[in-house]
Amino acid sequence: MSRVLALVLAVSLPASPLHSQDSLIARLRRQADSLLGSWREAQKLADVADSLEQVRATAGSDTIAVGGLRIIVNPSALPWRQAAELAWPVIDSLYGSAAEDLTGHPYIFRAVDPDSGVRRAVLHVGVEVPWDLDVRATTALLLTTVTPPSFDPALANWLGSALRPTLRPQDEHAVVFVLLVTAPSEAVRRCFLGDIARCKDVLQIGDTTGLLGRWYATPAEREALVTQAFTDYFSRGATAPTLQNCRQHRDDACTALLQSLPPGSLPRPLAHAARLLLVREVLRTGGRDAYRRLVARPSAPIGERLASAAGMDIDSLVARWRNVVVAARPKPLTLPWSASFAAIGWTAFFGICALRSSRWRL
Amino acid sequence: MIAMFRAVLYTQWKWSRLIVVLGTVAAFAIPLLSLQGAARADRGALQAQELLRAVQSWGTLYPLLATALGLLTAIAAWAPDHRGRHIHALTLPIERWRYVLLRFGAGFVLLAAPIAAVLIGSSLAALTATLPPGLQSYPIALAVRFAFAVFVAYAVFFAVSAGTARTAGIILGIIAAVILVQVVASIANIDLNLFGVAQAVVLLGPGPLAVFTGRWMLVDV
Repeated sequence: MSRVLALVLAVSLPASPLHSQDSLIARLRRQADSLLGSWREAQKLADVADSLEQVRATAGSDTIAVGGLRIIVNPSALPWRQAAELAWPVIDSLYGSAAEDLTGHPYIFRAVDPDSGVRRAVLHVGVEVPWDLDVRATTALLLTTVTPPSFDPALANWLGSALRPTLRPQDEHAVVFVLLVTAPSEAVRRCFLGDIARCKDVLQIGDTTGLLGRWYATPAEREALVTQAFTDYFSRGATAPTLQNCRQHRDDACTALLQSLPPGSLPRPLAHAARLLLVREVLRTGGRDAYRRLVARPSAPIGERLASAAGMDIDSLVARWRNVVVAARPKPLTLPWSASFAAIGWTAFFGICALRSSRWRL
Repeated sequence: MIAMFRAVLYTQWKWSRLIVVLGTVAAFAIPLLSLQGAARADRGALQAQELLRAVQSWGTLYPLLATALGLLTAIAAWAPDHRGRHIHALTLPIERWRYVLLRFGAGFVLLAAPIAAVLIGSSLAALTATLPPGLQSYPIALAVRFAFAVFVAYAVFFAVSAGTARTAGIILGIIAAVILVQVVASIANIDLNLFGVAQAVVLLGPGPLAVFTGRWMLVDV
């Protein structure tokens, strides 16, 4: 009997903490559920507040519809319609058939007098703009504030910026050319020289393992990255001695420091402009439904999404992107002809001034 | 006329040879120094940015050198005449404008040496450097730009030096008036930016000093 009792005790003793742990988990789950409920309620209230605010902000406003654009504005002299007629083809050429979805994302603008001292109601929806913008500035405003349709977080994270129409496409191409030439990364340099696999690495499409070695291939690059970008971050606490070793050209120390960075915080060797240009090339190649295909599968790898949108394999796509960039070499810094003629003219002008001088008048 | 020009050129060379020689040495050395170290092929991908930064830093010296050469050569061209109160020049059997033209031309001939030095120095630097892929050198464009800057600077200071004290007074008076109006406008809270306008007129577009602005890059993308 005592043996049975001992067995029961032996079983119940370890079970009691398990029981209490179970109750703790249940209590935490109840708290989490309660928090979730509160968050949902707050979300509903925020939605109601937003819709009320939207009603308040758009009261007495006009709606201008051009293509898929819907612009809700207060009465003003701003040339909204002309600007929308100029902006719509540009927006439509970028998003293609998906541009029609923009009807669900109306712009809300309020034209205001920036010099007026009169107090006006504070609105939390829409954008206030000065009422003296011309057609060009108003068009630029529409292009730079358009909401990309169905733009998912994965695409946004990879791209590093919103995908909007560009006002100066040639400038964007030239910027990427300069990035390819001057980025402090051997991988980028090899991409510039035509190594498509390195281009895929630095554009962060395809295999994402071992990015440190792929992006910053040489010890000098890794040391420069640590000592230039992360000195403050690593100079305190346990990493300080490793930083000292890194400064003494020990690559293992530099690599260890960079590998200890939180995921996603390793600086990309190419700025977002390069990826933006790749997406523009994808949309240009893929036709009117390219954007729809690009945003159709948010969970798919970026490389697959780009290839699907462009309708070609990823290597050909990246090679095409590289060719576009290499062809966009910025204009060299030569003196323009007008400046040359101006310099000759001014030299002659001052020379004639000197010739007309007189020493009879002191 | 050619004999007269030779005589003027010779005297002007004597007065300004130190300026011309030092200017020529500097004009030859700056491009070479700006690309120092670029001849090493083992500098890796970090090289391009560093190189452009160094070239841009050294590039600020070209307009300074052009200004200094123009100023000093123009002053040297007129200093003996000013010291002699122009008596010698006035006794010569030659019209005043011809005399000034000879001096003006002689200055241009002397300034050809530093311009040629920039061209030779930058060509040599570009030939001996191993540039990273994507970067190119522009020795001729740089030398042409330097030539125009030297000529404009020389012409401006030559005109000022050739003028009378009254002319100098008028120029200084105009500058003082602009400053005075700007100060008064600022005190009276009037939206007037004369300095900005003057800067735009002089430095931008077809302005006389526009050739000095911009980036003076021997190497660029």
